[in-house]
Amino acid sequence: MGLEIKNLNKSYDGINLFRDFNLSFPEETITCILGPSGCGKTTLLNIIGKITVPDSCEFQGFDNKLFSYIFQEARLLPWKSVQGNIEFVMRSDLSASERHEQASRFIKIVNLEGFAGYYPSRLSGGMRQRVSIARAFACHSDIILMDEPLKGLDLALKQNMIRWFSEIWKADRRTVIFVTHDVDEALLFGKEIVVLSKLPAQIVAHEKIEIPAENRQLEDPFFKKLKQKLVKALDA
Amino acid sequence: MKISFAKKHFIGIASVVTMLLIWKIMAIYFDSSIIVPHPEDTLITVIKLMSNAGFLKIASATIIRGLVGFIISAILGIAIGILAGINTEFNTFISPILVTIRSIPVIALILLALIWFNSGTVPIFIAMLTMFPFICTNVVEGIRSVDQDLIEMARFYRISKQKIIFEVYIPAIIPFIISGTSSAMGIGWRAIIIGEVLSQPRYGIGTSMQSAQIFLNVEAVIAWTLIAVMISSVFEKIIRWCEVKMVTWK
Repeated sequence: MGLEIKNLNKSYDGINLFRDFNLSFPEETITCILGPSGCGKTTLLNIIGKITVPDSCEFQGFDNKLFSYIFQEARLLPWKSVQGNIEFVMRSDLSASERHEQASRFIKIVNLEGFAGYYPSRLSGGMRQRVSIARAFACHSDIILMDEPLKGLDLALKQNMIRWFSEIWKADRRTVIFVTHDVDEALLFGKEIVVLSKLPAQIVAHEKIEIPAENRQLEDPFFKKLKQKLVKALDA
Repeated sequence: MKISFAKKHFIGIASVVTMLLIWKIMAIYFDSSIIVPHPEDTLITVIKLMSNAGFLKIASATIIRGLVGFIISAILGIAIGILAGINTEFNTFISPILVTIRSIPVIALILLALIWFNSGTVPIFIAMLTMFPFICTNVVEGIRSVDQDLIEMARFYRISKQKIIFEVYIPAIIPFIISGTSSAMGIGWRAIIIGEVLSQPRYGIGTSMQSAQIFLNVEAVIAWTLIAVMISSVFEKIIRWCEVKMVTWK
């Protein structure tokens, strides 16, 4: 069964962000929500994550779902090591050795073996974001919400991040909802791409990509054509 | 601009040598041990005082008073600081009290304390009242400076309130507590000694300084002052050592 939000209405300071908005998310898939800056993407993510209360909305399939988050900034505790930051969000009913073992597994997947004892201040921006990805997966959750986590990284680093994310995701297929305003990120990352219009947000395009994330090349004619289509939808 | 460890060391030594030189010039100029004794004579007096059988009793009495005052102020300062940091109404309530305590001249506090308490308790009371506002204000600042994004992250991840306090707030305020302790201790030692001078407990550096002053033994007054500075420096070093051990992540 998929996840669905129906008839979402949300206004803020007299501005209509969503009016009778409907969107469904297939489970165990990466859905990418693409939209111009200020179109309410983050608000939508926060509504899904039950952080922001909508004026009205019908949620289907979200009952008892637990969420993990990957933010724009890594948001790591500076006084905890990489290992400590990951263990911080893990279930408290796990024993210390279980927590340690599971955290180590995720550290290995994001290729940070050897950095487990490092404090965030000693890591690069990309490394910190990898820790934040590992933390999201280490947390017991059903859905991972991502709010432009690759913003500010260069294309090469973005591609690497997506490769690491794909590695970790393949091992543990969770539903991922990812918002961005960057078409390249959406093309590199999303299995489903939903394009939102300016306010009040409406869906102006919905695309599916079957090619695995690790095999995607933006120079391929397929991606070039799709990019043109998405850019056109964004500008509409 | 960063300066090397060796250069920093050298500049530090140069500063001490300059002070000694000025002292020596003044001693030569006044040519009277009652006004300004020679530094070398004072150093001998320091050694004599420290090797005296009663020295440990005198110094430890002052140190114990300082520590008791500090422990009380730390407990009160941290507890009230945390409350004021997380509760705006309580902070509004406590701020004028802290400002008042800080603004009252130490001598006024001592005069009142002399009426209210016995001679041994006066320095502790004074130390407590001078140190407490520093620790409390720093804890409030520490709590206020906690990155709200981290708190939001912890809430998103359904972390319990207790875990947020112990694993987010407390580690975040430790550098502020250490900084508050350092300022409080600096002021505190001075306040304790003033308190001892005026309340005259049986043992204490202040008591000994007062006795030396009565007999116009300037050498001993300065020698006790140097001993007090040394004690204060040792505690400052201990605080810095604690900072290095506790704030390893910066």
